[in-house]
Amino acid sequence: MNGYGALAGKYLKQQKRRTVLTVVGILLSVALISALGTMGQSMKDNMVDQTIYNNGAYEIRYTVATPELLQTLQHHALIEKAGAIRKGEATPLAKGYSLELAQATTAGLELAPVHLLKGRLPAADGEAVIEEWALAQLPGTPTIGGKAELARPDGTKQTYSIVGILNNQRNNMTYGMGSAYTWLDDEAALATVPDTRLSAAATFKKGVDISAHLPEFEQLSPESFDTNTQLLALKGETADKSLNKTLIVIFGVLIGLVVLSTIAVIYNAFNIAVLERMRHFGLLRTIGATPGQLRGIVFREAGLLALYGVPAGLIVGCGGLWLVLEAMSAAGFNILTFDGFKLTLHVWIIAGSAVVGLLAVMLAAWLPARKASRVAPVDAVRGTGSIVRETYKRVRLPSLLRLLGIEGNMASKNIRRNRSKFRITAFSIVVSITLFIVFHYFAQEAFKVAVDDSRDDQVAFQMLSSFTQAEQGQRDGPVQDLFDAATVADIAAIPGVEHIYGRYNLPEASIYLPTAKLSREFLEKMGEDFFLKSTLGGQEIGIVPAYTTLYDEERLKQAQPYLVAGTADPAKLSETGAVLIVQKVKPIVFSEKKKINMNLSELKVGDTIALNFGTQEKPVMREARVGGILSQAPFTPTLLDSELYVIGTKQTYAALLKGIPFDEASYGTALRGLDIALADGADAAPVRQALQAMAAQDPSIRLIDFVEEQREQRQFNLQMKIFIYGFLGVIALIGSLNIINTVQTNLMLRRREFGVLQAVGMTMSQLRRMATLEGVWFGVIGAFWGLLLGIGISFLLYRQLNNVEGIPFSFPIAGAVISCVFALGVGLLSVQGPLRKIAKASVVEELREEA
Amino acid sequence: MYRPMNVIEAAGLSKSYGKDSTLVEALRNVSFSIPQGEFVAIVGASGSGKSTLLHLLGGLDRPTGGSVRIDGEDLYALKESQRAVFRRRKIGFIFQSYNLIPVLNVEENIMLPLLLDHRQPDKAYVRELIDTLGLGDRRKHLPSELSGGQQQRVAIGRALAYRPAIVLADEPTGNLDSANGREVLELLKLAVRQFHQTVVIISHDMNIAAEADRVLRMQDGRLVGDSRGGVVQ
Repeated sequence: MNGYGALAGKYLKQQKRRTVLTVVGILLSVALISALGTMGQSMKDNMVDQTIYNNGAYEIRYTVATPELLQTLQHHALIEKAGAIRKGEATPLAKGYSLELAQATTAGLELAPVHLLKGRLPAADGEAVIEEWALAQLPGTPTIGGKAELARPDGTKQTYSIVGILNNQRNNMTYGMGSAYTWLDDEAALATVPDTRLSAAATFKKGVDISAHLPEFEQLSPESFDTNTQLLALKGETADKSLNKTLIVIFGVLIGLVVLSTIAVIYNAFNIAVLERMRHFGLLRTIGATPGQLRGIVFREAGLLALYGVPAGLIVGCGGLWLVLEAMSAAGFNILTFDGFKLTLHVWIIAGSAVVGLLAVMLAAWLPARKASRVAPVDAVRGTGSIVRETYKRVRLPSLLRLLGIEGNMASKNIRRNRSKFRITAFSIVVSITLFIVFHYFAQEAFKVAVDDSRDDQVAFQMLSSFTQAEQGQRDGPVQDLFDAATVADIAAIPGVEHIYGRYNLPEASIYLPTAKLSREFLEKMGEDFFLKSTLGGQEIGIVPAYTTLYDEERLKQAQPYLVAGTADPAKLSETGAVLIVQKVKPIVFSEKKKINMNLSELKVGDTIALNFGTQEKPVMREARVGGILSQAPFTPTLLDSELYVIGTKQTYAALLKGIPFDEASYGTALRGLDIALADGADAAPVRQALQAMAAQDPSIRLIDFVEEQREQRQFNLQMKIFIYGFLGVIALIGSLNIINTVQTNLMLRRREFGVLQAVGMTMSQLRRMATLEGVWFGVIGAFWGLLLGIGISFLLYRQLNNVEGIPFSFPIAGAVISCVFALGVGLLSVQGPLRKIAKASVVEELREEA
Repeated sequence: MYRPMNVIEAAGLSKSYGKDSTLVEALRNVSFSIPQGEFVAIVGASGSGKSTLLHLLGGLDRPTGGSVRIDGEDLYALKESQRAVFRRRKIGFIFQSYNLIPVLNVEENIMLPLLLDHRQPDKAYVRELIDTLGLGDRRKHLPSELSGGQQQRVAIGRALAYRPAIVLADEPTGNLDSANGREVLELLKLAVRQFHQTVVIISHDMNIAAEADRVLRMQDGRLVGDSRGGVVQ
């Protein structure tokens, strides 16, 4: 022993179990903080990468650019890189597909979302890169090194040699329009005569305050100016910084709660360690230790614990996260749908977690250290009674516990016996429960925003009929269904296929809605003249765009859960010529700078709506009755901005469209495509094979495969759950440690008292009942305040989230129930350990306990 | 009704701790009996085994050998929970450091053994007891609001509340000044007379020993002396 300070280490070694428990508490908290931070930062980094992948790396763009504008950009002091792209002309391919070849300068190719699968980017006129799927549709299905004759932007044909293959893009596949790029010389871009096909894109130099300079760049060409909004938002460079502020508030609150619970865990551990050793501290005082030296010993202990707990926490936090991600990757997962998710370790997060952990430990040790330094030496030598001076409070508050006999009566007095102790115990439990509820709520909401839970995400394949061929010869009569019942039945018979939903192309329509039927809230928020006004039958109306959709029986079945009024029964709807509507919308409200969830109209079941299938000048009016109201369209993940969904059966729409000329309703109610949903866990491969065979037989049928995308989506959902429940698990662990520590402290410090109670004739079962009631009652009190606080803070977080995504507040019932049951359970279980110890020890030993 | 002559019968009591080289024999083959209504003092040097003996008489510990009968009941033939119930009904304890329950007031502390038995205390008896102890105006006070002497009087009250067969006191005056010690001793003697109690008291204080009906002397775990009124038995 080299100095008195070494006492700290010796105490810790002696109390192995408690030391381990405390180190684990520190470790878990630091791990949680560092993992949360690292995960958050990595997600942001990856979102930036992903946004660049999807939208391109440009920051500002001019959809129509003159050569002068391009030149200005290229020579601007603030601009790092400026490129140009000239949109191409479509080259028709087989099966109604087409391919569009754009010209791009070298910088243009870098700033656009161009992703090579194989080969290289074009570097000379006459070289081209083409999307993979489109390549297969070119005559002779060329590959790298092959040739293809494509239309230049000016319409002339040119033969290009293919130097690279691009990744497939979903939208391009759905629309049947492939993209291809060839090289454009910078000089040539500047020299071209002005045309509306030329666009320019640019990025700023590093360190430029982008948002401050946006207006200046907008001035260059106000009508065609555009920003890569998502990318700028992620970089924190938007005119409206609320997104970043929101993220900071949310993560700040979560980490703040974790830190609070860390402090509570460590404080409890230290408090009990100090209280148990009050006599030792007193003895040290009698032999000449100064109060400062005693404080030093306690702080030194704290430092030692942190020395082990903090680095271990960093390793466990970052290492654990890395391991989980590695395991997911190894299992073939795409982490959170990001291609090649990279875990980036930021020094500031690691250092920050370490500092926060260390500060929490020191803060937690502060009060116990003060307590240790204040022990009077005379107390240690006098050796009478309790050396820990407790002030006892007379309890006047009636408690339900008193109804439970003498044990309950005593438990209720014990719980409130000492104000500060009661507060600390309740505080630790409250913090744990609050943390759990808030995190659970936040995770749930984030999950809701991030995850598409509409029926649409079950669609694995789409079969579309190309329009042009089927239209031939059908101009005059009604358009026939492009898939007959036999085909649909064949598909339904393929094992693994669960649902087949029809796709239809209804004509556009608008609703002439009496102003009185428009929702006041909507008009107040969006402006009284948001909709064009007109009159109909002497009544003032607003012209509301309608989203007309035909639902067959299969689709209507899925609508049932969303029904808030009326009926979704196809027979009833057809019979009365009624439609289903969705009048909930979620537009961006500019005055409040956020999306708000509200009703567009105040229609009721039984109301009649006037639909115009023509134009405003040449209206083609039809009437439909509202047969039912849905809360959301079952096949659309989000609410519409400012349109009313009008969903009808085939019969309803056939009646509505009767007598409307072909030009206004080209396809009528003809079945034009099929959405094929697979059963959960069904193998997609045989279905794909069967569908491919069917598509090969009919040249007009196009098969679109979403299986891969769907698999990724499901993986994403699963991963979100793994992360959320992983974090929640750690939080629950910290919370349990906290409750165990506090409840056990309360019991272990009273062993002598328990000895006395046994001596005067309390049986072990009475003692157990009393202690258990105390543990449970602390759970009840903690749960009560934890619920209040947890729900309150959840509401605050909701207000923050609501700034970005207008969502209704949903009461965090699940988190509340889980955490309360958990707290009660842990309270109940944590008293069992000390009770066993007490039961084993003899009364005489307990009476000798020093406390 | 049959009443045993002796309210306490200890036979061949021994107690040892540890094993082999660390073996400590705290009590070696101690036998004696105490008739009802006797005021007995156990004296001896520290480490002579007198506290161990008292704990064994009260059923707080388990003997390594021998038996204790209280009021005819073999204490160590009972199960632990039965022994606890027996304790609250038949044995009253008084400790050197009072050991009151800090959250209960004077009255509640005194009634605790009855309350533990889920029994409505005999109010008149409790009042008489509290008045006898001179705590009439302290009825609702918490232990922390009482002086040491007052606390020890509450402890005596608790020990007598159930009208137990025996009262065991472990250095009850050890923490008190002589005036308060005197008072406590008088109360214990009063209890013997007024409530016809049997009291066994451990003390260093030869003055206290001198006031006892009978003195048991311990040394090295053995009973080495037993005298009544100064007469060696």
